[in-house]
Amino acid sequence: MRRHTRRVYNLSYRFTSNRQEAEDLSQEVFMRIYRTLRSYRSVNGQFTTWLSSVTRNLLIDHYRRTRRDRITDSIDDSMPHLEQKESASRRPDDQALANELSSQVQGALAKLSPELREAVILRDLQGLDYREIQQVLSIPEGTVKSRINRGRIELARLLEQIGVRPE
Amino acid sequence: MVWNCLTTEERLIDHLDGLLGAEESAALDVHARSCAACREMVARVGTLVEGMHRLEEFEPPQRLIARILLETGPREEKSKGKSRWGWLAPLFQPRLALGAVTVFATMFIVLQSAGLDVRRLSMSDLNPVNVFRATNRQVHLTYARSVKFVNDLRVVYEIQSRLQGQPEPPRTTTPSERNGKPQDQIPRSERELKNHLELARAPEYAAQVCLLMSGRNF
Repeated sequence: MRRHTRRVYNLSYRFTSNRQEAEDLSQEVFMRIYRTLRSYRSVNGQFTTWLSSVTRNLLIDHYRRTRRDRITDSIDDSMPHLEQKESASRRPDDQALANELSSQVQGALAKLSPELREAVILRDLQGLDYREIQQVLSIPEGTVKSRINRGRIELARLLEQIGVRPE
Repeated sequence: MVWNCLTTEERLIDHLDGLLGAEESAALDVHARSCAACREMVARVGTLVEGMHRLEEFEPPQRLIARILLETGPREEKSKGKSRWGWLAPLFQPRLALGAVTVFATMFIVLQSAGLDVRRLSMSDLNPVNVFRATNRQVHLTYARSVKFVNDLRVVYEIQSRLQGQPEPPRTTTPSERNGKPQDQIPRSERELKNHLELARAPEYAAQVCLLMSGRNF
């Protein structure tokens, strides 16, 4: 339960850059999973892939719903939330650096188009392979790789613009 | 092999995944040595991807897990039942139930008074014109019945008063005494009683005649 919640919450948070929205969307995902659990067939893919697919669909719905009042300008906006990250497995210096990179990546992700953003998140932050991403996004593998590639290049360019260079 | 900046950008993902062949890798290296922009981009994206892979996941807050468990737990069964019968819940209040019963009873009485058969009620019966006609008919019927009842009471009273007014016959009489009694007295009282009955029914007959002449059909 906690593992799945973490996956859904991270995907939601990375996509929305908003902690409260991520919580609400995560709850909505599990509500939908609970209601439609009977429709899940293991032959169609792993449960985690299905979970990611449901999450992604809700995120896209949410993105379309909140398009008008979305604010994606300031990278600094995400800083206060990200400073609350819970992790005790690193030394304070490493933790601070990781937090900083995480917040910078988060800010840059918010500026990506949703198509590129979801592809990069699924691949580089969620660790899905191309076939799983293909199932989640329902697009050909070539398009998946193209979106990931373009998303990474765009993300690196955005970070370069604000003077960030991951070590 | 021709390798340019566009090729570098397109095949960057394969380079990072280690999927380039030896010849393609060599071509990329040759191009990167001569193109600072591509060299920079390859290094930057490679570092970014490595950095993102190292990022730890965020821990979901405890309250989120509690909320999910709450929503998908036994409460879901309740909400399921509520979705089916939820719209009826406000009607199950005692005061509303009492009000509904009163309304139904009132309608039943009104419709019965109007002469409508509630068991065979149709939409046309609820037309105000039809309701008025049925009520009007019922009023006239009730009036006629009450007139008849009063008249019948009058007749009964007349009969009783006649019977009480006559002397009681002796319990035992001899045949000679019975023959000595005036015989025309009994037929006379019968005739009078008949006349009285006819007179008592006169208002009823008159009412029926008037109603028939006015075209009312009972």
